[in-house]
Amino acid sequence: MLKWIQVLWPSFLIAAVAEAVFFTVIDPQELYLFGEPVDYSRIATYSIGFLGFWLVCAASSLSTIFLQRPAKEINRRT
Amino acid sequence: MSNTSPKPQGADADASAQDTLYASRRKLYVRAVSGIFDNWRWALVWITQLIFYGLPWLQWNDRQAVLLHLVERKFYIFGWVFWPQDVIFLALLLIISAYALFFFTAIAGRLWCGYACPQTVYTEIFMWIERKIEGDHVRRQKLDQAPMSGEKAARRGLKFLAWGLVALWTGFTFVAYFSPLEELLQAARTLSFGPWELFWILFYGGFTYLFAGVMREQVCKYMCPYARFQGVMFDPDTLVITYDEGRGEPRGARKKGIDPRSVNKGDCIDCGICVQVCPTGIDIRDGLQYECIGCAACIDACDQVMDRMNYPRGLIRYSTENAIKKHWGAKDILVHVLRPRTLIYGTILALLCAGFVWGLATREPLRVDVIRDRAALAREVEGGMIENVYSLQVMNMSEQARSFHFSVSGLPGVTVDGENLIEIGPAATQSVTLRVLVPYDSGKPGANPIEFEVRADDDPSLSLREETTFLFPR
Repeated sequence: MLKWIQVLWPSFLIAAVAEAVFFTVIDPQELYLFGEPVDYSRIATYSIGFLGFWLVCAASSLSTIFLQRPAKEINRRT
Repeated sequence: MSNTSPKPQGADADASAQDTLYASRRKLYVRAVSGIFDNWRWALVWITQLIFYGLPWLQWNDRQAVLLHLVERKFYIFGWVFWPQDVIFLALLLIISAYALFFFTAIAGRLWCGYACPQTVYTEIFMWIERKIEGDHVRRQKLDQAPMSGEKAARRGLKFLAWGLVALWTGFTFVAYFSPLEELLQAARTLSFGPWELFWILFYGGFTYLFAGVMREQVCKYMCPYARFQGVMFDPDTLVITYDEGRGEPRGARKKGIDPRSVNKGDCIDCGICVQVCPTGIDIRDGLQYECIGCAACIDACDQVMDRMNYPRGLIRYSTENAIKKHWGAKDILVHVLRPRTLIYGTILALLCAGFVWGLATREPLRVDVIRDRAALAREVEGGMIENVYSLQVMNMSEQARSFHFSVSGLPGVTVDGENLIEIGPAATQSVTLRVLVPYDSGKPGANPIEFEVRADDDPSLSLREETTFLFPR
């Protein structure tokens, strides 16, 4: 449980901040996806944007707790 | 995780600290409590939730009073309409909230956590439902340990259903702040929500259920960033929930009606009710701990016990480190509320609030961006005039349609050609193309500074000047 929290929660907080800053500055309708203007609704773009930010932040948190594993845990043979 | 060595050293110590964090959580059966502070908490539950659930239903100027309309990228808040350009107000509001938190924490500890935090408020509501359906803390524990039966399944099912309904309603309300309530209600009637609206209703509702129903104190202990740094705002004059050790110890059971000093005891009868009512499961008698959310449930509980024992109330009470050490009364504590830390936080908070109000009061409901037409830079037209074309992005940020006059100055004989009174709809942006004419001999070749003035037809005090350049052919 705690590992889930450690990966998903800080990334959620930072993703919320990133989302707010990014979409305050950038109108989703000004974005391009593979050279084509984004034609999703704004709600869809905001939502995908948020989930994207969350995913990237969670990947970072996941690498942090992966690299943080103590020697004991790595050396232990199962 | 079979490390049984008595005292881990070095790197191992870190590992064992982590191990304890991973220890499975002991489920808390929190005993219900009543009293002054519990009443305060319930008052705050009612106030915050009436506001939260009620606001989207309010109407203002024939629209939803509070709507952070993400699709239109406009925030409607009562009489105001905010645009992305107004982000400074949002930033200011966040800074004000942060300083308010510092200010109140410095004075009286975790007031926010104990009474107003959504985690506390929803946990309170969910625990109330749990108590009504499954009974008090003793019966809940018994029910948990009992084998599955018809009654257990019925009570469980009813509880999950009631929690689910509250959570769904909360999720629905949350989405109604960002997407018009009217459209959501229409969609609800036919169960035809947009995919993302449905996703966010379930997302927010689901997390309300998870946090308030299942995780509860773990959110405060492991997830809340504020719980980790609130300590830096504390000082020896901060009011915190304190067990008066000098008065309570040595604790222990005794017969009712005897003077505790006669049996060499303090006022604490060691009934343990302060621990049973604690929503984070700590013992306040061990001193101030970061897990303490300052809910004062233990104060209410202990006061009732003191009443029953005919001892004075306040064995556990709001007090300060200095007050306990120096045996201060309420007056001394009040005097020490005014100290450099609170004065500095208070001054900054007052200045920020004043700035916010001033900014709102003087905010011009008009914005203009001037863009030169790049296609045709400067053109000679009949009558010996030079023409430049401009595109003006005009934002009418007020809620009524307005007509605006456009005029230009800065060069001798400069005029706007054609129609220069243009109506712009309520809370709308419009691109206005203006042709500006200047006699060929009134400027130098190249760029010459000029200035547009945009003035509201109905309110001459509402005007804006915007600088740009006029090009003469070389």
